[in-house]
Amino acid sequence: MSKILIGRYVPGNSLVYKMDPRGKLLATIFFILIIFLANNPLTYAIVTIFSFIAVAATRLRPKVFWDGVKPLVWLIFFTSLLQLFFTVGGKVYWQWTIFAVTSYGIENAIYIFIRFTVIILISTVMTVTTMPLEIADAMEWLLTPLKLIKVPVDKIALVMSIALRFVPTLFDETVKIMNAQRSRGADFNNGGLITRAKAITPLLIPLFINSLETAVDLSTAMESRGYRDDNGRTRYRILRWSKFDLLDLGYFAILIALLLIFRTH
Amino acid sequence: MAADSIIKIKNVAFTYQDTKKPAIDHISFEIKRGTWTSIIGHNGSGKSTIIRLINGLLVPDNPDEASIEVDGEKLTDDSVWDIRNKVGIVFQNPDNQFVGATVADDVAFGLENRGVPREKMLKIVPEAINAVGMTDYTDSEPASLSGGQKQRVAIAGIIAIKPQIIILDEATSMLDPEGRNKILQIVHRMKQEYDLTVISITHDIDEASLADQVIVMNDGKLIEQGTSSEIFSQTELLKKLGLDVPFFEQIKDELLEQGINIPDTVNSEKELINFLCQLNLSK
Repeated sequence: MSKILIGRYVPGNSLVYKMDPRGKLLATIFFILIIFLANNPLTYAIVTIFSFIAVAATRLRPKVFWDGVKPLVWLIFFTSLLQLFFTVGGKVYWQWTIFAVTSYGIENAIYIFIRFTVIILISTVMTVTTMPLEIADAMEWLLTPLKLIKVPVDKIALVMSIALRFVPTLFDETVKIMNAQRSRGADFNNGGLITRAKAITPLLIPLFINSLETAVDLSTAMESRGYRDDNGRTRYRILRWSKFDLLDLGYFAILIALLLIFRTH
Repeated sequence: MAADSIIKIKNVAFTYQDTKKPAIDHISFEIKRGTWTSIIGHNGSGKSTIIRLINGLLVPDNPDEASIEVDGEKLTDDSVWDIRNKVGIVFQNPDNQFVGATVADDVAFGLENRGVPREKMLKIVPEAINAVGMTDYTDSEPASLSGGQKQRVAIAGIIAIKPQIIILDEATSMLDPEGRNKILQIVHRMKQEYDLTVISITHDIDEASLADQVIVMNDGKLIEQGTSSEIFSQTELLKKLGLDVPFFEQIKDELLEQGINIPDTVNSEKELINFLCQLNLSK
């Protein structure tokens, strides 16, 4: 079991890995917003091409991205089908009671399909090339303006980083408890939904108690290591912008420009 | 070695919430600078409580009569952060004290808390990591480290803040023998290099017998304080308190029972072996 892999980070060393997580996070968010600028075949084609270039730039195997899309395949198809059968307007090709396949329907179904797929691809590009911790750091940076309205951004960031750090620990703990319960005859894999849900209880309770104990221990350790409830802390790990960040941000700026020029007004 | 006392504890009592029986029952003792002290006692004897009182994680029941002094500074609400700069604790569970996402982050945690500028941290952190031999793991995540390696990182985190006192709160009890020996070796070396005072709370009697001074606790009271040979030769007392007796003391006892006269000067495994070999020769 790969316990070190939280999220879907895949180690690599292409250009995309050298980019600052803040830039990647911003670019991803922008991408999800600007994709709605696309409204005709040309703009959708541009978006698709741009996304695939970004995917190619990671130099990772296509399977990594297929794994990203896979869990959502049914959702994508279902939404596309709804668009296909329920959009009215344009030329009618086929009709049966309330279902109709129209030219608008086909167009919309394809658009929705593209939109979904590229959003997943681009966010996969970010999550597989950026460590969860870096994403947390980037999110902290994005939240920084909230300090003005007294949101404890530093604390939220510390909480996020501790939460991430304890994911594998809790996972180990779960496996340990599961094995302990199995050795006493617990069965987690058979039976109906209710039986299985019941089987989970002797797993969750010790896990819950353990986490509370861990939390108490950790807070004691943190206090004894001088953690205090104020803002005088400095940072060891900091993010640095580099010339690589012009690449992704510039790339998406060009995409916006192209979309604005070629969309139907 | 200066002979002054780095820790002075006077008349300290402490009771946990929701319990009637005091965990610490009016204890007083002193610890000399630059020594290695072991605190032994069975579970619930108050060993861990007393060290949590030393760095202000817990506050005595009787703040007016009790006094805790560390490195000449009395523990008060104002001085508690100063004292925490002087005392570093390595706790029992390797996982539950690893705060950072990576080894370097964790070592930096104490420095970050103290507002040390980043340029200084960039120098101190690798030094501290190197001191415990973890340089190859600088960017490793805790999940990929063994218990012993995590405890080494914990020691590095403490060394980084340059304390006077390092406390091992059963820090080796969750480790395998190899990990345990490595940790003890490192602490010994750190003690020499940085002129530290070491307090080790332990169940491992062989670890305790290496100390300059041993404190025996039972039911929140200090039962005995003395050099390790003074303490461990009192096998009856140790057995009564439910504590283990070091292996060589057990052998010595058995031999005495067999009528073999072992002089009082024999106080370690090595001395015992020497004595027995000579005994063999003289026959």
